[in-house]
Amino acid sequence: MNFEILGKIEQIEIIAIDKSIRDVERLKKIYGQGRWRKLKGIATIKLEDESICQAELHWYEAHGIGKKEIKIKYLLDE
Amino acid sequence: MSNTNISKQFAICIKNDNYPASLETRKIYEILPDEKANQHHQIRVIDESGEDYLYPSSYFILLELPAESRELLSLCNF
Repeated sequence: MNFEILGKIEQIEIIAIDKSIRDVERLKKIYGQGRWRKLKGIATIKLEDESICQAELHWYEAHGIGKKEIKIKYLLDE
Repeated sequence: MSNTNISKQFAICIKNDNYPASLETRKIYEILPDEKANQHHQIRVIDESGEDYLYPSSYFILLELPAESRELLSLCNF
């Protein structure tokens, strides 16, 4: 990951499950079979340029595989 | 030829560390403007999920294309 999550991810919500995830086949091919879920949440992050800000994050996870590809959707403030 | 399509930006992915399901190297992606992200060396990309997310600018090479080429690329299904 090219940024660091400081503390916990909060306000976690499920966005999509399994076949509702557009790229679920890519996830299964790369990380393995499982019931994949796409989630979102808010966290404080530290970017590569050392700046610290709140961000909305999206990621994928499956039981036994864990969180994968945590991506920044929006930078909320600094 | 619409102004929207002419102004679209594209970039080639040259690195996909930590995001093998979301990005493919050597593939062209559409870029969306995001001044705030750019200030942090991030770039807003419509990735394999079909949604736009921030990625490090260093993962991409921006394409400087003639308007006609950008228009044709805009008509492609990604």
